[in-house]
Amino acid sequence: MIEFEGLVKKFGDRTVLKGISLTIAEGEIVFILGTSGTGKSVLLKTLVGLLRADAGLIRIDGEDVTHLSEEDYLPVRRRCGMVFQHPALFDSLTVLENVAYGLMKHERLTLEEATQRARECLNMVGLLADSPDLAFEQKLPTQISYGMQKRVSLARTIAVGPKVLLFDEPTTGLDPVTTKQINFLIRDLSRTLKTTAIVVSHDMDCALEIADRIVVLDQGQIVEQGSVREILDSTVPLVVDFLEEAKARGVET
Amino acid sequence: MIVEQIGGCVSFCLEAAGVFFRRGVSRREVFLQIWRVTIQSLPTTAMAGFFVGAIMTVQFTMQVQAYGALGYLGGLSTSATIRQVGPLLIAFMLSGKVGAFTAAELGTMRVTEQIDAIRCLGANPFQELILPRFIAIIISSFALLAAGLLMSVAGGALMGALFSGINLDEYLRHVPTIVTLPSIATGLLKCVVFAVVLASICTYKGYTASGGARGVGQAVVETAVATMVSLVAADWATSLIADTVIQLVLSAGGAVG
Repeated sequence: MIEFEGLVKKFGDRTVLKGISLTIAEGEIVFILGTSGTGKSVLLKTLVGLLRADAGLIRIDGEDVTHLSEEDYLPVRRRCGMVFQHPALFDSLTVLENVAYGLMKHERLTLEEATQRARECLNMVGLLADSPDLAFEQKLPTQISYGMQKRVSLARTIAVGPKVLLFDEPTTGLDPVTTKQINFLIRDLSRTLKTTAIVVSHDMDCALEIADRIVVLDQGQIVEQGSVREILDSTVPLVVDFLEEAKARGVET
Repeated sequence: MIVEQIGGCVSFCLEAAGVFFRRGVSRREVFLQIWRVTIQSLPTTAMAGFFVGAIMTVQFTMQVQAYGALGYLGGLSTSATIRQVGPLLIAFMLSGKVGAFTAAELGTMRVTEQIDAIRCLGANPFQELILPRFIAIIISSFALLAAGLLMSVAGGALMGALFSGINLDEYLRHVPTIVTLPSIATGLLKCVVFAVVLASICTYKGYTASGGARGVGQAVVETAVATMVSLVAADWATSLIADTVIQLVLSAGGAVG
């Protein structure tokens, strides 16, 4: 279980998160929606300690992680795998080495075992199965498409077996078909691996399709949260705007 | 601003030292980086060193000829090259090559969130990225500077023999009397200090880059500027300290004698 309690994050004079309180149950798929610059990504980065909160508390499975040192945060981050907005693959390593990176650092695996596990993860995100090119895993990130890079990034994250998956704008920059595939992949992986998933997005379509719960942020505060049904019935202006925009694109609401 | 930058760099180096003692560093990765830096820069350093020696010989030829003391050309040119000009000019060259490359590499990893990805995989970027580069740059730069100095001696001797109307034996005759052990020690001390200055600044600037491609460009420029200014300042400080220590040792030796 993840709990945020009165979380505040400032950048200079600007307060980006203004006392966020939110609890996310184990196994839940939560979408955090909001327009650009409302603090969605900051919330995720604060959860994994890439940014530090100015006030408030963060608890993961009851453990207060808010003020852990960088050193003490390392094991916490292994429990909370993050998929970045941009794939953030290590460009000097091959696809396979990227996926095996976390395994080689933490697990006492032989090279063969790590390679095998990395291939399984690539299969889980539909890459080796899709690719007729057997040399795919030996390619560098720059030699594969952006959509594939996103999948490799996801495979790298799930390889270390996190209990919580965090997605920062997972479908930004992707075409509609790949967007849909990635969304279903998030849902299927979360169900299969029995992980909690927190997805930061501004895409109401995906949220309506796969979320257990939707949280809407506006200017650093939660303005609405609830199940898909509750969100569809919401009268909060920002939520209504999101829904109307989704309807205009032909999404069934 | 400058104080803030110096403080940031010192704090960064202390953090790196702390991680080194707490977590260690992969020797394999250090060797890979040493190999990469050395191979990348050896030809350029050797060439730069050769011409630094040649330039000093040309300069001293004009002056010693005026006093009819061409026999001292080798000693004076070699001493000036090893103690002062050689380490500084070769370090300038390395700052443009190794420093800019490292700052750009780390800066790109920072702005494309690769460093955050390492942290999120539960690894320590100081241990994985900074320390191998930091240690490798110090070792490689010291070796490259020393190699560059040897090449500068060779370049000076060759140019002296070819263009200054002096044969190699004459050129080298006074080298042992003028280029003393303290001179060589001062030159090597500067190589160590310059290597540490270069490694600290380029890794710090690269690691703390922000703001996309423009931020990486900014980090590279700041690395070049900060390194060159710091090298000149470190050159002055090292010369002063080395000369003071040498004087103290000599006077103590004289007092004992």
